[in-house]
Amino acid sequence: MKIRIKTFSIVRDVLGFDEKELTVSDEIAVTDVMTLLVKCYPGLLPIMNTLLYARNEEYCRTDTVLEDEDTLAIFPHVSGG
Amino acid sequence: MKKVIIQKEEIDLRDCVERLGNAADGAVVTFTGRARNASGDKKVEYLEYDIYNGMAIREMERIVDEASDRWALGSCMVVHRYGKISIGEASVFIGVSSPHREESFASARYIIDEIKHRVPIWKKEYYAGGSQWVQPPPKP
Repeated sequence: MKIRIKTFSIVRDVLGFDEKELTVSDEIAVTDVMTLLVKCYPGLLPIMNTLLYARNEEYCRTDTVLEDEDTLAIFPHVSGG
Repeated sequence: MKKVIIQKEEIDLRDCVERLGNAADGAVVTFTGRARNASGDKKVEYLEYDIYNGMAIREMERIVDEASDRWALGSCMVVHRYGKISIGEASVFIGVSSPHREESFASARYIIDEIKHRVPIWKKEYYAGGSQWVQPPPKP
């Protein structure tokens, strides 16, 4: 199945992309996606504990399981206003 | 009237205020967040806002709905900018109206606090010698 990764703020700086499609064999939890990403982008590790996640534009937890065609957004705590 | 807008262009504050209120409203309260020229001991040259557009709109609409459920509001308008913001320019505008002032003051405060806590928008400060993403303070 395919999921889309979106990144914002410092996460985009660290990963070097704002959007990427990931092909995985089966349903996958957010935490597993992050494990995969850290292997390819170790620069993510120092900020891992500060990150927030959204599945299809709704905040989600790290144990949320993603389904085919889902979009996972990864970003730090917000600072608008 | 409930309105949420995300835009790159400057906010027309006068136009926003004129759109607020109706004959039953005795109070209009507005909050304008502006780009300031200093952050701690650093001189800020300008700001840049990154935004998750679809989710940000939805989250701000949710906050406005929550405020409208909690207080009797005649109108409510929220405008947030993204992209480059020069010093002194408005980055966010919140305007509410209600029959009495208590509801307007309380709801405007609620809306800006929730925006700063929940809406996926990120601020980056640019200085003479570099730039830095802003770390939000812990929620009181």
